[in-house]
Amino acid sequence: MIEVKNVTKKYANITAVDNISFNVSDGEIVGFLGQNGAGKTTTMNMITGFIEPNEGQIIVNGYDISKKPKKAKKHIGYMPEGVPLYTELTVKEFVTYMAELKLLKGKEKKENIKDVITKTGLSEVENKLIKNLSRGYKQRVSLAGALVGNPDVIILDEPTVGLDPKQITEIRSLIKNLRKKHTVILSSHILSEVSQICDRVIIINHGKIVAIDTPENLENKTKEKNTIILTVEDPNKNMDNLKTVIPKIEDIKLLKDNQDNTKQYAVTSSNEVDLRKILFEVLPKQEITIFELKKAESTLEDAFIKLIDSNKEYDKNEENKGGKN
Amino acid sequence: MWAVYKKELKSYFLSPIGYIAIGIFLIVFSLIFYLTTITVRQYDMGNLYYNTARYGLLLIIPIITMRMFAEERKNGTEQLLLTSPRSITSIVMGKFLAAVTLIAIILAFSLLYYVILCFFKAPNLVSTLVCMLGFLLVSMAAITAGMFVSSITENQIVAAPITLLLLFLPDLTGMLSIINLMGHYQKFPAGIISLNEIVPLVAYMVMFILFTIIIMQRRKSIK
Repeated sequence: MIEVKNVTKKYANITAVDNISFNVSDGEIVGFLGQNGAGKTTTMNMITGFIEPNEGQIIVNGYDISKKPKKAKKHIGYMPEGVPLYTELTVKEFVTYMAELKLLKGKEKKENIKDVITKTGLSEVENKLIKNLSRGYKQRVSLAGALVGNPDVIILDEPTVGLDPKQITEIRSLIKNLRKKHTVILSSHILSEVSQICDRVIIINHGKIVAIDTPENLENKTKEKNTIILTVEDPNKNMDNLKTVIPKIEDIKLLKDNQDNTKQYAVTSSNEVDLRKILFEVLPKQEITIFELKKAESTLEDAFIKLIDSNKEYDKNEENKGGKN
Repeated sequence: MWAVYKKELKSYFLSPIGYIAIGIFLIVFSLIFYLTTITVRQYDMGNLYYNTARYGLLLIIPIITMRMFAEERKNGTEQLLLTSPRSITSIVMGKFLAAVTLIAIILAFSLLYYVILCFFKAPNLVSTLVCMLGFLLVSMAAITAGMFVSSITENQIVAAPITLLLLFLPDLTGMLSIINLMGHYQKFPAGIISLNEIVPLVAYMVMFILFTIIIMQRRKSIK
């Protein structure tokens, strides 16, 4: 559906996007993650044909966006960052204009506009001027503009930025509903959001792709240790000697001393060892009562930070090598 | 093209711009009507249109054109236009024709003065229509210049004075007669359709429309 091949974009001496390549399949939701200025928006702008790459090729639904822009753009719905809208228009007028820009005509146009307004929950405000709407509604209007014309590919740049938690949940569920019928690329700073919505994640740093994988795989790949969060009652303070009783434990850290005489610990072992069964067996024998035992989940946030940091170290080493040469 | 045309034309009247342009035209036209027809009793529609074009258009055109592309760029709505399956040429032409329609609407108001004059001494209708045609052609050329200026900046406040200078300086200094629009509006007020005036005006229009399209195309690769 979308093929990005060796794409580079340079601004004077700065390389915003550096030789990136990836594919997005039909019906997939792919998340773009990266720090500010990492090249997410530039990549999205190139996929939509808003800007042209200096090198490389972008193919949308079989059409090269540089060579056959009209055909490729017919398949794209774009919600740009910052929600640019014609605020002097009403919601319906705006969606109608977007439909006309996307070459819709007659009955198809009418039905599509009605459908998109309903789908995005804008029916109540369809005759209101956009300038009088709340931020959440404006975001929906922008999403409606992207959805009108039923494009195969939908590109959403920071779709939930600036929204309150309720609005975020609403927009998120709207995006989730796009799955299967549309291919979606979205960028976000909220890692939990990407983790929840996306089938795959592309992590981009300084214009280069650092990782492409499913959120689960990224979390597991970057996980270095197995950590168990343990809440126990330990009147005889036997937890201090637990490391000697179970040699597979690498580290025990007290996290919380609770008011109900229980304590919460983080018990760490190597990645290959699962301590849960051993702890259930050994702790009662040590007169330690287990109140709660759970595996600490590694998050996409951990994976993101680790990947970005390791990329920074790699860049530094490369720079040093270059300096020495 | 028509989607952009409809939206642009509607926007002129959803904002004060359309009304301000009509207002300025009517003030300038009425003032010149008073100074020539009422005070001196000169029933010359050609003189009326010539002077309105010379002084009124200077104010009206920058107001109409300053926001054309500059505002879209500033607000980010340019992204919506340029990522749609519409060609840059159709976007430019849609905006241009909407501005031309606004001028045509403004010109229609001037017929009121023709009706007023008919009560005293009916001016030649054909000559009046030729004057109006010339006025429209000069306006169209001026719009393309303003549109080009709007495409090279994202600040409307910068676009307006540059357009004003581009229209006013050649007429004021007498230099660069090729781009002096008023220099090509000399025979129309006399009721004469002259190719010597039409050709330079059309060439001026085509040149600035092409410049605007090139600027918009270039922006894709330098953005």
